[in-house]
Amino acid sequence: MKIDRRKDISPKYILLALTIICVGLLIVSYFAGDRIMGVKRYTMKFITPIQKGINEFGLWADSKIKNLEKIEELQKENEKLKEELAECKLDLNMYQNQLTELASLQELYELDELYPDFDKTAAHVFAKDTSSWFTVFYIDKGKDDGIFEGANVLCGEGLAGIVTECYGDYSKVRAIIDDTSYVSGRILPSNSLCTVEGNLSQYEDGYLLVKNIDIDASVTVGDRVVTSTISDRYHPGLDIGFVSEIRNDSNKLTMTAYITPTVDFTNVTEVLVITNQKKSIN
Amino acid sequence: MRREITIAALIFLNFGLQSTLFGMHNIHSIKPNLLLILTMSFGVMRGRKEGMLVGFFCGFLVDVYFCPVIGAYMLLYMFIGYLNGYLHKNFMIEDVMLPLILILIDDFVFNGVIYVLFFFLQNRLAFQGYFVRIILPEMLCTVLLTIVLYKIYVVINRYLKYKKEGKELR
Repeated sequence: MKIDRRKDISPKYILLALTIICVGLLIVSYFAGDRIMGVKRYTMKFITPIQKGINEFGLWADSKIKNLEKIEELQKENEKLKEELAECKLDLNMYQNQLTELASLQELYELDELYPDFDKTAAHVFAKDTSSWFTVFYIDKGKDDGIFEGANVLCGEGLAGIVTECYGDYSKVRAIIDDTSYVSGRILPSNSLCTVEGNLSQYEDGYLLVKNIDIDASVTVGDRVVTSTISDRYHPGLDIGFVSEIRNDSNKLTMTAYITPTVDFTNVTEVLVITNQKKSIN
Repeated sequence: MRREITIAALIFLNFGLQSTLFGMHNIHSIKPNLLLILTMSFGVMRGRKEGMLVGFFCGFLVDVYFCPVIGAYMLLYMFIGYLNGYLHKNFMIEDVMLPLILILIDDFVFNGVIYVLFFFLQNRLAFQGYFVRIILPEMLCTVLLTIVLYKIYVVINRYLKYKKEGKELR
């Protein structure tokens, strides 16, 4: 075996050659990223079907497992029906609560009117980042469905991320909890501007970081944080989260808030992509 | 040729699984590093050259999909594969302890480099928190999977060798 390897070129030289290739690619892709797009696109052509296949199989298996669970559920349903009477009583209580909520919602509704309905298209998540550090994922719709680079991605009620790369029928999305993500935001009743920052160590606690809030702004726990009107990439008024904690910064000029994101990032299968482009001055 | 095709299929499969399977619908979760296990296994079983090449292509796929520039993960995986290959000479393939210890070190180095490049240099200095919450869990689940996967790779490797060198080997 050892003699066999002697015939080949020494691994040292191959390592050297490959390192040079890597560094070359690094430099080319850093300074002229567009040129390397072709390489990316052709590689992805091979892999994306595999990922989509695995994902589809996963979803199928998931639905089967859920079906099995449903059989048990049916058995339990009888018991549940008995409990329903008690629940009805609870419901009555809830309606009363909702009446009080209605008043505050009506205030919010005025804000809702500020932005018109966006055109949205639904897409499935089919691949996620391979490392544990970043939160980048792929969705199965792309340019063909009217998605573009910079399109806002929603999940449920809130903002989930932004499209960073767009191909024929799939695109790459960076979530707002990713460490490199910055969103210009606005805290609602007080209308003060802020920056919502993805922060990995904070996200492990379930929070997003909101920085640069003016020290005079009256921000309280429970306030809504939405995307601001001055952002050049995000549509205004998309929900980001709710303030959970506020701290004064040591510079005595700004505050930092910890917000709980609206989107449940532990369960993202389907997302909505806004296909309206934000108006910009060119 | 059979060897090349098998390894290519393994790389594709591992990458496909790693980018889809773990964490179910959770888009941010701790995932075991399947590609690192593959790189380490072939480095240890077959030597520097093969470890290096497997790492090179694993890294290429990760770069194409999840890195803003192409080349960063390539270098990382490639060097890990190459360095692991040094242990090939004085190592019994049936030995399981060495791969386990090795994958611990590899995974630590791998994540340490990512931390330094993307977090430490961006003024996220609390290494302890990142270590306890991200690196350590990832190391543990990678090691657990290594126990299973390494055995499978050994079998695949033995099969390929048997096919190539004829029946006198075993």
